[in-house]
Amino acid sequence: MKVIEIKDLRKTYNESEVKVHAVNGVTLDFEEGEFAAIVGPSGSGKTTLLNMVGGLDDPTSGEVFVGGTKMNELKGEALTDFRLNNIGFVFQSYNLIPVLTAKENTEFVMRLQGKSARDCDARTEELLKSVGLGERMNARPAKLSGGQQQRVAVARALASKPKFILADEPTANLDSTSTETLLDIMEKLNKEENITFVFSTHDARVVKKARRVITIEDGKIISDIRKNGGEKINN
Amino acid sequence: MKRITQMAWRNIWRNRKRTIITSASIFFAIFFAIVMRSFQLGTYDHMIHQSIETYTGFLQLQSPDYFDEPGLDNSFEYSDELLNSINNHPEVKIAVPRVESFALASIGVKSKGIMVNGIDVEKEARLSDPERNLVRYRFDSKIMDEVYKILGLTEDEIDNLKIYENASFNSLNKISLNCGIDDQEILEKIGKITAFEGSYLKENDDGILVSDRLSKFMQLEIGDTLVLMGTGYHGSTAAGLFPVRGIVKIPSPELDNKLVYMSLTRAQEFYGMENMLTTLAINLHDNSEMLVVQKSLSSNLDNNKYVVKNWEEFNPILKQTIEGDSVGGVVFIVILYVIVFFGIFGTVLMMIAERKREFGVLNAIGMKKRLLMYVVIIEMVFIGALGAITGMIASSPLVYLGNKFPIQLSGETAKMYEEMGYEAVMPMASFDPYFWWQAVIVVLMVIGASFFPLKSIRKLKLMKALRA
Ligand SMILES: Nc1ncnc2c1ncn2[C@@H]1O[C@H](COP(=O)(O)OP(=O)(O)OP(=O)(O)O)[C@@H](O)[C@H]1O
Ligand SMILES: [Mg+2]
Repeated sequence: MKVIEIKDLRKTYNESEVKVHAVNGVTLDFEEGEFAAIVGPSGSGKTTLLNMVGGLDDPTSGEVFVGGTKMNELKGEALTDFRLNNIGFVFQSYNLIPVLTAKENTEFVMRLQGKSARDCDARTEELLKSVGLGERMNARPAKLSGGQQQRVAVARALASKPKFILADEPTANLDSTSTETLLDIMEKLNKEENITFVFSTHDARVVKKARRVITIEDGKIISDIRKNGGEKINN
Repeated sequence: MKRITQMAWRNIWRNRKRTIITSASIFFAIFFAIVMRSFQLGTYDHMIHQSIETYTGFLQLQSPDYFDEPGLDNSFEYSDELLNSINNHPEVKIAVPRVESFALASIGVKSKGIMVNGIDVEKEARLSDPERNLVRYRFDSKIMDEVYKILGLTEDEIDNLKIYENASFNSLNKISLNCGIDDQEILEKIGKITAFEGSYLKENDDGILVSDRLSKFMQLEIGDTLVLMGTGYHGSTAAGLFPVRGIVKIPSPELDNKLVYMSLTRAQEFYGMENMLTTLAINLHDNSEMLVVQKSLSSNLDNNKYVVKNWEEFNPILKQTIEGDSVGGVVFIVILYVIVFFGIFGTVLMMIAERKREFGVLNAIGMKKRLLMYVVIIEMVFIGALGAITGMIASSPLVYLGNKFPIQLSGETAKMYEEMGYEAVMPMASFDPYFWWQAVIVVLMVIGASFFPLKSIRKLKLMKALRA
C-alpha cells in the first residue's frame, strides 16, 4: 500500500535575483513499512522535500498524497489536524516541550487528538519502554541527553499512530553511540511494528542501516536504491 | 485542558525573574490603587456623612420656588399628614421639619448676621442630633495653666494641649483623640477643670443653641440673652430676646461661624409663620437609592406645592469638590496602570518572540495556533492573577482595618483638618465595587496587552518559525 505519493514536486525560491530550484521535479512513492533514507550534499534540497511531504511547507507546484489525501488542498487548521493524525515528526533538535516530562511530551499529541488521560497512560509507557526510556519517564528534557531526547521525540512521533514518521537529520546532533542506539530503535520499530520511516541524513552509518536510499542533488533524484536482504537493486 | 493549564503554569516559571517582576508590578499597582482609592472614597463618604447625613439630610422637601429663591415667603404648610406620608415611605429613615432663615444677632455693641435653624427638638435628634455637638469642655486659656499642672502629663501631651488652647470639645474621648492622651484618670482631671455647662433645648424651648465660633465672636456665655432681629413672613418684622442654653460645635467652620438652633415653635413664632416650614429634611435607609426615592417621593406629592431635591442639587459645591478630587485620584491610577500595561505588553512580546521555534514545532506536530494563543493567554492570566490576587490580599487587611478603625489624626494635623471643616480622621472605604474593579482592570489590561502580540502567533509562518 502506498503511504506517500509525490508527483512532480517543485519548490522554487525567488528571494534573490537568481531563482533557486530547491526541489526540482521529484516524483516518488513510499510503501507502508519502508525504512528509507534521503541523502545528498548540503543544499541539495532534502529538508525542503521533507517539509513539503510533511505538510509544513507549500510546494511551488506538484502534488503530495498521504494515504490517498491530497495534502496540498488542506489549509490552516485542517492541515494542522491532518499532520496531527497522519504524520509523526522528529526534528534535528529542540523537539520537545521543555516544561513537560518525557511521558507528558509523548502523551501530548494523543491529548491533542482528544484521547483521555487513561487511554494515553498505557501507550506512552509502552512507547517509552520500547525506546529504552522506561526509567526516565518523569524527567524533563533538560535532564535528558541529546540522544534520549531524540528517542522521546520518536516515541512522541509514534504516539499519535501516524501513517509514517518523517525525520530530518535526526542524528545530526548526536554522538556515535547515541546515533547507533536511536537507529537501532527506529529499525526495531520498523521491523516489529511495520512503522514507515523516512529520514534524511549525512551520516554514512545511518545510510548503511536504511533499506532504501534515495540520493538527491540540486533538487533532483539521482538514484533510488532498495536493499533487499543485502542485495542492491538499482532502478 | 488540564494539561494545557499545567503547561501554561510551568511556562511562566521558565523565566522566573520576569514573571515575578511583571506580577510584582501588577501587585504594587493594584495595592496602591486600592489603598489610595479606599482612602479617597472613605473620605468622600465621611464628608457626605458629615455635611449631608448629619446636617442637611440627603433629600429635602421644599416649596417649588424655594430652590431658586430660598426665603420664608416660599415656605409651605406643615401638617402631620404630610410628615407621615414622607415617613411612611419604606426607604425613608427619618424626615424632620425645619424653618431656616437669617437674622441679625446682637449683644452689647457686637452684632453679626446669623443663620437660624428652627428644629423639632425631639425629631431632630434622629437627623442632625445637635445634642451630640454640644460643647461640654472648653480649653479656656485662663484655666489651662491649671491643666498643665496635672501630674503625669508628658511634654508631648502638654504641647498637644497647647495647640488646642481655646478649642471646644464635645466629649472626653475627643480630647483624648486630638491631644493624644490615653490615661483615663488624667482625662477625667482635665475634664473636671475644663467642663463647660450648657444644655440641649427642650420641647418648645424659647432659648437657643449657638455655634461655637459664633459664641466666641459674640463673647457669649450660657445664660446670656441674644437679641435677634430680622425680616419675618411676608415682610413682617421679626424681633426677640433669646437666652443661650448651650453652645454647639459644628464641623463645618462656615456654619460654625453663624448658626443658631432654636425650637421649631419658637422659630415659627419669631418669624410670624405659624405652622409653616421652609424644608423637610429627609434621610434614607440606603443612600445609594437616593435618586429612586427622590423620584418616588416626588410622584406621590402635589408637585405644584412641593418639590424634593437631593443633596447634589442643593449642595453642588460638595459634589464638585468630591468629583474634582476624585478625578485627580483616577488620573493617578490611570497613569499607574498605563505604566504597568506596558510592562505586561513587553512581557507578552518577549514570551512570544523567544518561543517562535517552540511554537513552530508545536504547530508542526499538530497543535492548532488557536490553542497556542490560548496557552499564552492563560500564562498571562496567571501572571496577572498572581499580581492581582496577592495585591488584593495584601491590601485587604489595610482596607478592613482602615474602614473599621479609621486613622485618627491628632495634634497639629488634626487641628488643621478641623479648621478646614473636616473631622480629623482618615477613614477608608470598605470592600465596595472599587475594590473588585481593580481585578477587572487587571484582567482587561492583560487581555489588552496580549492582543497585538498574540496576532503574531496567528500569523506565525510555520517554516520561518521552525528555522528560528
Ligand atoms: N527559505 C529559503 N529561501 C531561499 N532559499 C532557500 C530557503 N530554504 C532553502 N533554500 C535553498 O534551497 C536549497 C535547498 O535547501 P535545503 O535546506 O532543502 O537543503 P538540504 O539538503 O536540507 O541541506 P542540508 O544538508 O545542509 O540540510 C538550498 O540552496 C537553500 O539555500
Ligand atoms: Mg537540511
